[in-house]
Amino acid sequence: MRKELPLIITLIGGLLAMVGKWTVWGDHIKLLTYTDQFDTLVGVMAMMVGAINLTRIHGLNVQRRRSGYAFSIVLLVAMWAYFVLGVIEGYQGKNFRWIYNNLYRNMDATMFSMLCFYIASAAYRAFRIRTREATVLLIAAALVMLGKAPLGETIWAKFGDASNWIMRIPNTASMRGIAIGAYLGGFVTALRILLGIERAHLGGMGGSVQ
Amino acid sequence: MNAFFVKGYTVDALAMILLCIAVWVLITRARAGMKIPAINKIAGLEALDEAVGRATEMGRPVHTTHGLGGVSDAETFAFWGVLGHVANMCAKYDCRLINTCRSYLVMTVNTEIIKQSYLEAGRPDAFNPDDVRYLSPSQFGYTTAVVGIFAREKPAANIMVGYFYAEALTLAEVGSQVGAVQISGTTSTAQLPFFVVACDYTLIGEEIYAASAYISKNPVLVGSLVAEDWYKILIIAAVLVGTVIANVIGPKDKNWLAEFLKK
Repeated sequence: MRKELPLIITLIGGLLAMVGKWTVWGDHIKLLTYTDQFDTLVGVMAMMVGAINLTRIHGLNVQRRRSGYAFSIVLLVAMWAYFVLGVIEGYQGKNFRWIYNNLYRNMDATMFSMLCFYIASAAYRAFRIRTREATVLLIAAALVMLGKAPLGETIWAKFGDASNWIMRIPNTASMRGIAIGAYLGGFVTALRILLGIERAHLGGMGGSVQ
Repeated sequence: MNAFFVKGYTVDALAMILLCIAVWVLITRARAGMKIPAINKIAGLEALDEAVGRATEMGRPVHTTHGLGGVSDAETFAFWGVLGHVANMCAKYDCRLINTCRSYLVMTVNTEIIKQSYLEAGRPDAFNPDDVRYLSPSQFGYTTAVVGIFAREKPAANIMVGYFYAEALTLAEVGSQVGAVQISGTTSTAQLPFFVVACDYTLIGEEIYAASAYISKNPVLVGSLVAEDWYKILIIAAVLVGTVIANVIGPKDKNWLAEFLKK
């Protein structure tokens, strides 16, 4: 029953979603609204699982004085203090918003901005001419970059057109090809889960074997 | 038909029913022991054993992540197929497995999958729940934490299968810097180029969904993949017919195929 019960729940959930989305009756009674609300409720209830996991792992780091345990103290204090502040002030509270706007957002933007350096190092590796494919990649990338940068059109007016053609035709065609395959793959995976053939989420190597 | 299906979803529903029939036919054939076409070799999935073996030899951990996908995303289910296999190998080889999550719901499922895999490998005592880590719901909070884990723990293998956003390149580049063998896979077309340049093996698009069938070699699962390929041929045919209708036969506003697909 340990394996069967999740499969039955999955099948019922999947059928409810299909009926709610596709059929006139499901749409009329707003079936998906109920399932979405249930989904949100489960998600919120499970949030504490995440907080407990973090507290347990970092609490053990502090308790056993593992290397870098000071950072665990910072994390625990920041997480729980911010939580308490949110409960007291509400999410629109002055201090709560200040911390969000002046600390969190800046740290977030810093990590995002580091991407440009990683793009440079990844591009360096990708554009080293070692194979025929890498050469094609280098030429296409150089054309697109020259077409997008103001300098390119100064050198040759047609760089912009060449760049647009590469992005619009070969790039879009290959992306759509991958996307169609991915959608179909997702579709079939969903079907396998609904039919109980795919059981990887139930755990272990035996999960996917019927 | 429109009295039953919501307008705009009739073709969706019919397409799903058609796919169901194709999958059912192939599954029935597989169950009856009839011949099912073989699937091509997928280098990224073949390399999973090599990656875990390398990590074992080096005495360093294996890191796995499903990216930013949620518990209901198909990509996350594809990841679970890989995770069960990797966890089983890690348990057999006595190699440490670190799993990081951005979603607390996925974390609970991952914990159960890994625990079950260790149990099946006969080593339940080797499972360490502290190595299945929920880090942060924030995209870059999660990324920063993983980068920190990479710097401290220096995994010898990094397996990233699932749905990724802008953090994909950061994770792949930092993994490359610490010298990890990297196997990635995603359906996100915006992140695929980053994975291709920064990782050793990349599962492109639908290949991630083939993982559990490929690993388990279960004919019933393989049969569903063959049905998917049949369906792909049908879609290619529809694209070709639509192209001919739009460009050769009639004016664009009288494309009956396009009108039918909107129903």
